[in-house]
Amino acid sequence: MKKPARRVVVAGFAVGLIAVAAFFFWPESTPSSARVFQPPEVKASRLTPEQYRLAITDVFGAHIDLGGRLEPVMREAGLLVVGASSVSVTAAGMEQFDAMADAISEQVLMHDDNRRVFLSCAPAKSDQPDDRCASEFLAPVGERLFRRPLTEWELRSFVAAAAAATKALGDFHAGLSLSLSAMLTSPQFLFRIPVIEEDPDRSGGYRLDAYSRAARLSFFLWNTGPDAELLRAAREGELDSDRGFRRQVDRMMASPRLEEGVRAFFHDMLRFDTFETLSKDPALFPKFSRREMADAQEQTLRTLVYLLLDQQRDYRDAFTTKKTFLTPSLAAIYQVPLAHQGPNGGVESWEPFEFPAEDPRAGILSHASFTALHSPPGRTSPTDRGKALREVLMCQTVPAPPPDVQFTVVQNTEDPIHKTVRQRLIAHSTVPSCAGCHRIMDPMGLALENFDGAGEFRLVENGQPIDTAGDLDGMEFSNSLELAQVVRDNPAIPSCLVKRMTTYAFGQDFTQDQRVFLKQMRVRFRESGFKIPELMRTIVTSPEFFQAAPASDPVSVDALTAAVR
Amino acid sequence: MRAPGSAIPEVAGVRGRHGGSGRGAVLRHGAAFGVVLWSLWAASVALAAGGQSRTFVVSFFAQQFTNYPGDCPGGVNPEDERGQIAFALRTMGYSGAEVRCLMVGWDQGGEGERKVNEILERRAVINGEPVNPMTHPEAVPDPQLKFVNAKQSVGFDLDGKQSADDFVDMITGKPGIDNQLFRSLGCNQNFRGSWTSPSAYGEWVWVQLRDSQPAWLMMITDAPSGKAGEVIVRIQRSFDHLRSNMDGSPRWHATYRADPDPRSFNEYRGYLRDGELTIPRQPRFSVLWNGLSAPVLNLSQFQLRLQQDSRGQWDGLIGGFQPWRELYFAFSHNGIVGDRPGLWHAMKKAADADPEPATGQNLAISVAYRFTAIPAFITPSGASVRTAMREGSKP
Repeated sequence: MKKPARRVVVAGFAVGLIAVAAFFFWPESTPSSARVFQPPEVKASRLTPEQYRLAITDVFGAHIDLGGRLEPVMREAGLLVVGASSVSVTAAGMEQFDAMADAISEQVLMHDDNRRVFLSCAPAKSDQPDDRCASEFLAPVGERLFRRPLTEWELRSFVAAAAAATKALGDFHAGLSLSLSAMLTSPQFLFRIPVIEEDPDRSGGYRLDAYSRAARLSFFLWNTGPDAELLRAAREGELDSDRGFRRQVDRMMASPRLEEGVRAFFHDMLRFDTFETLSKDPALFPKFSRREMADAQEQTLRTLVYLLLDQQRDYRDAFTTKKTFLTPSLAAIYQVPLAHQGPNGGVESWEPFEFPAEDPRAGILSHASFTALHSPPGRTSPTDRGKALREVLMCQTVPAPPPDVQFTVVQNTEDPIHKTVRQRLIAHSTVPSCAGCHRIMDPMGLALENFDGAGEFRLVENGQPIDTAGDLDGMEFSNSLELAQVVRDNPAIPSCLVKRMTTYAFGQDFTQDQRVFLKQMRVRFRESGFKIPELMRTIVTSPEFFQAAPASDPVSVDALTAAVR
Repeated sequence: MRAPGSAIPEVAGVRGRHGGSGRGAVLRHGAAFGVVLWSLWAASVALAAGGQSRTFVVSFFAQQFTNYPGDCPGGVNPEDERGQIAFALRTMGYSGAEVRCLMVGWDQGGEGERKVNEILERRAVINGEPVNPMTHPEAVPDPQLKFVNAKQSVGFDLDGKQSADDFVDMITGKPGIDNQLFRSLGCNQNFRGSWTSPSAYGEWVWVQLRDSQPAWLMMITDAPSGKAGEVIVRIQRSFDHLRSNMDGSPRWHATYRADPDPRSFNEYRGYLRDGELTIPRQPRFSVLWNGLSAPVLNLSQFQLRLQQDSRGQWDGLIGGFQPWRELYFAFSHNGIVGDRPGLWHAMKKAADADPEPATGQNLAISVAYRFTAIPAFITPSGASVRTAMREGSKP
């Protein structure tokens, strides 16, 4: 080859190398400007059980008994709120909605004490329809429930329904109650149905309309629908101006209700809904009853709220913090002193607590909400715990076990040869098809083996000392405290949080076209010192947050209504 | 056991969602301060004693009856209600035929049962007038309950002497064991038990007491002398009930507030060797107890012997001489024990200590109580915590 030609080849090779290096090593702090965010298609999503509860509480008060429970939502992209955007309502589920609506509306309008509060007018005759009085009640309640003012047609329909029911039942309040019940089973209440409009800032683009923006903002920050002030701001066009919008964001971020939003997010991300089906063998773990299960979730949520909201600390510190909150019942599981301060039989109170430096507990991985939740009923499972760490907190996917897998060796806790779970897992992992996946799960889980299936500390298993050494992505550790530090320092931890929180805020998973936004959020999160409130503010104030694309397969409200009916 | 943690002031002082002002904040400050106080208190005890403290809560406590086949050669005292009634009627002088006739009526219920009950209620007579046989057992003829006639039992040599009525300890093999409560009541069905299975009475009364009385606490501290194995053992009451798990078993590692009441405060020099804790003879042991058992548990010539297992649980006995009338106080209103006036007479005859000067009648009986304790945390008294809470809430 001639020299010039060779130079061209060398130069070409160098350029190629640089291109490859740039692709892999280009710093994240330079957000890609070449790739444009493609707004997600709008989707209707069903209220989660907690959102339903809060919505009723907001409008009618916490004393209203819901009278039932919602059917569960499937988790998608690691979050229930994403699953909620792809669910319908089954016939049985609709029966539940119907029963709950009846129970709520009866309490609101058929109980004298409540009626005096919620119904400001009185019908001219108690056994005759009174459209004026019905309208006075239904219009404001409907606005709160539907998260937007009722259209004239809607209001007329609900008033007419109340009148017809009054005639049939001979009781104005009973008729109005039935109309309220219909409102509570309307898809407009049960589903968040975004409405889009042309985006004035993007030619040819769309964004959510003011009320849908208010709803997205409110459900993300407070886990409930917009309050009266936010609805007013939407109605009066305040959300269309940057200043007005930021004023509302500031107000909501400063509200104590932000805690509801943060708790709801972590409840979803950490999969605390699965406590519902968690069971423990009482013969092996007699301390861990339903009360301790509830307390375990609350401990972690309180810790996170304290650390991330009250103290505005680095999110990663959640994995190493020694500070937490305990009840006396949980303290007994953690084998630390905390006396019940009230009378015998009284409700246990929550107290701040800090584990000593030498205590093996640090961070939320050492909480019972992690160690017990990710353990089978009668033993520990380093594999389950490692898988949970990978999937829940690092947003990684662990392949499912092969169809012919045999768990017998791992599950036999009375094996006289393999006394510790480490020994059993080693025996199990001699099967090549198992070994690969176990290598990425077990080492982290084994570091938590000092915490038994109910989260209680132990040093031995079946009389054998427990070895807690392992590694995570090449970083070695010898015990749970070192694991906590390694996890804290793993870049996948904040990345995953950004992914989960952004997905949670949008209510739907991101496609490849939208991931540029995630990258921007990761950079901003890092620049903020990994502060959760800053990330929340960054998400809601980003232009992308309200951008939307028309649904390619639109489901009309009529269709939804038909499905519900 | 690991070193306990402690709440820290800056956590306790969090404002906003967890802190703020008002009663909640006071409680939080107070609770945190309380735990700190606990640390200081425990540390001071340990420092004063020159060593480490280990704290426990009593997880079972009842009279120990360790029976074995053949220990009642005369047979077991009537074990069911029918048998007890018939037996009582016989002791009142009714003939066998009369008793059979009365019991037919009792079996039929109604008038026949009422008649038998009336007779039984009148079996105690003072100055020709019927009186309550439970409150006046002395006025009931002694039904001559059968005694244990055996050589072995469990307990302590309380008087330092060996006498014909003493037992040989079936665990330690030591002679001179004083346990006349076992001898006098050990042939009554509901008192019969073993080391692994408590008597029906013991089990029943513990279940009643466990949830209706404050827990008892035990703290073991290295003695200030620094001599190997020498410890200080404190036994006192708590303000809290024994904490239980979902299956009813006592909860390990729960936290209890200590009651500073001197009537329930006992502290002794003891010895801890090879996992065995012993307290040699002490003049007195006293803890406020419960109306179901006795208002106060008073023991003289008190001794303790416990063995610790690999998990940290203590199991063993305490013993001493106990006023037997106080025991009768508990038995007299617990139907489970059987013929109650009979128990009075049995204990009266078997009593072996504290003779009444005027009559020579012994007022105390030697007893052994099963005593188990599990690891727990102890905080200072509730009163102190409440004071601390007020102090801690000051800016």
